[in-house]
Amino acid sequence: MSGNSAYVPGLEGIIGAQTAISMVDGANGRLVYQGYVIADLAQEMSFEEVAFLLWEGRLPTRAELGALSAELASSRQLTQAATVALEALPADTDPMDVLRSVVSVQGVEHRLARPSRPLAIHATASFPTILATFHRKRMGLEPVKPRRDLGHAANYLYMMNGEESSPEIVRALNTYLVLLADHGMNASTFTARVIASTESDLTSCLVGAIGALKGPAHGGAPSAVIEQLEEIGAAPDAEAWMRAARNRKVKFMGFGHRIYRVYDPRAKILKEMCERMNPQFFALASKVEEIALTILHEEHPERPQSTNVEFYSAGVLQAIGLPKEFFSPTFAASRVAGWSAHVLEQAAHNRIIRPQSEYIGPEPRKPVPLAERG
Amino acid sequence: MGEFSPGLEGVVAAETAVSEVDGANGRLIYRGGYLIEDLIPVTSYEEAAFLLWHGELPNEKELDALRQQMSRARRLKDSARKTLMAMEPSTDPMDVLRTVVSAQGASQALTKPTLDEAVALTAVFPTIVGAAYRRRQGKDPLQPRDDLGHAANLLWSLEGREPEPQKVHWVDTYLVLLADHGLNASTFAARVVASTGSDLTSCIVGAIAALKGPAHGGATLAARNMLDKIGSAENAERWLTDAHAKHERFSGFGHRVYRTYDPRAKILREMAKTAAPDLHRTAARTEEVALKILHDAHPERPNATNVDFWASVVLTGAGIPKELFTTIFATSRVSGWTAHVLESLSDLRIIRPASRWIGPEPGRKPLQLAKR
Repeated sequence: MSGNSAYVPGLEGIIGAQTAISMVDGANGRLVYQGYVIADLAQEMSFEEVAFLLWEGRLPTRAELGALSAELASSRQLTQAATVALEALPADTDPMDVLRSVVSVQGVEHRLARPSRPLAIHATASFPTILATFHRKRMGLEPVKPRRDLGHAANYLYMMNGEESSPEIVRALNTYLVLLADHGMNASTFTARVIASTESDLTSCLVGAIGALKGPAHGGAPSAVIEQLEEIGAAPDAEAWMRAARNRKVKFMGFGHRIYRVYDPRAKILKEMCERMNPQFFALASKVEEIALTILHEEHPERPQSTNVEFYSAGVLQAIGLPKEFFSPTFAASRVAGWSAHVLEQAAHNRIIRPQSEYIGPEPRKPVPLAERG
Repeated sequence: MGEFSPGLEGVVAAETAVSEVDGANGRLIYRGGYLIEDLIPVTSYEEAAFLLWHGELPNEKELDALRQQMSRARRLKDSARKTLMAMEPSTDPMDVLRTVVSAQGASQALTKPTLDEAVALTAVFPTIVGAAYRRRQGKDPLQPRDDLGHAANLLWSLEGREPEPQKVHWVDTYLVLLADHGLNASTFAARVVASTGSDLTSCIVGAIAALKGPAHGGATLAARNMLDKIGSAENAERWLTDAHAKHERFSGFGHRVYRTYDPRAKILREMAKTAAPDLHRTAARTEEVALKILHDAHPERPNATNVDFWASVVLTGAGIPKELFTTIFATSRVSGWTAHVLESLSDLRIIRPASRWIGPEPGRKPLQLAKR
């Protein structure tokens, strides 16, 4: 059946939802959470405060923040079934598949429950435990029990490494988690909202979102940035390598974005952090960025400057000490706050999301019985 | 940027040749251009799945090869089996399905969706659904039967006895009828996940997650629950009149797309007479009364019995416990989901709509914690 409107590939420019959670103001290079510009939140706020903001629409009071932090801290244990499932998955499994599977077990229910803030808190609390436990399994190490006295970012690093990280490292991870916590109607958030629109449960929405984030066109590229920089090797070789690569139609990893017309505000903050925390990475990366932007500008002078959030994320996450296989899952551990906020918003103003398709197959005809099909 | 259409109603989000819902004429067209009522007499579920994947009905040799491939893919991996056994037996069967499919498809490296993966995923659903059911009954899961067709193996996995041919026929017909239906919410979820370049398992897990919603796959169970409450043909008028007076919705009625009788409901209604004669009597009277009440209330709206209503009767007759209805729906629809994902690969573009900001004016300054 023909739709009321023409088919727009990728739904580009089509409004998929109304939201008060975050806004990407691409023209002015602003990312806004509930009215606050990201640059005003990134340095000051804990991930817990920002999660509260996304869920509740306002910043918490001291008492509210204390209550939320305590609830998150007490929800970090995995269920027995989730522990068994995590143990059963082979150590060489893609961590995103582990996350998808274990989040699914952790959230199983006996009766359908409506998405709620307590459920959002529980899910958000479990992501670091799942990732750290699997990381240690890969390394042949025993899992580390979560620590209730540590904040969200600090506990994640503690469970990964078995020891506390320095305040600077914890602060850096916290900033990363704040920066990535929401970003308008991206593909994984939209997936979560489509699932929520059928009145399904929160875990189902999150599992779908993880599946979408896994795709390289969405969350899968930060490790690719590191891999490409490794291939390039050293700053003096960068231009020759990159021009040759371009002739072979190789994509520059960490560049290009559909929305921002000016420098991504998150990339700007991460770039500064990267320069301070990971000078070796920064020396090569900043050179590669400069060359990439020059080449991309030569090819398409009409297109805007386009370093994306993944490019310097890679250097920051590396400095934090996360293995590159855990870059995308850590992105998920941040974005779960935004996903669950969107699910709560969708559930509160729901209508099933069921667009139309344009049929491009043959005209109706009669089937031939099996015996007569040559 | 255009107007916001809630639910993306009327927005065209994909081009597809997998199926077409022609609501105005009450037609469901499967890939290749076949009307559903023409396929039912001549195709098994395996043939319908082949059609959705390939765009043509299989010949005998191709069908035989597909059946063998599916038989071989029915077993769970060790990690998926352990995950299955770790969950409490009373876990929602849809959550079992979502989780075990995720574990079964967990892999070392990202791969592009393939037809072989689609076949394997489709083949393993009955194993998981059967195991979930048997564990609820306090019984051990069964090994799948290599010598049975898809529908028969599904019944075997539940019951552990040689399935009756008639029941196999009813289940097989149901599976063919529900295998695809345009761009519904779960199929759309699968296509959105696919659009990021993700793997097939992630797409199918997302689709199961969407199908679980009562507004989508849960509707068959809701219809059966309503029939259970009504209890008998004699009670239908009183029950429905009361429910309508209390502004309760009638489960199994209403559809956004069809303007005439849903062609799948028509086939199932006929089949229900032999599959479940007693329940059919209650259901037929319920339908008659419900349509009259709905017509009196909204004469401008079309005839609205949906597929869930009559599917609930036929599945009951085939001996499927009602708590499995949504998982059986998924067991059918997985061939459509995978066909859509595979189709979308030929012109992959990330599906990322815009959103309209309805929050506070950007730029307000956050207060320090101590000042809040």
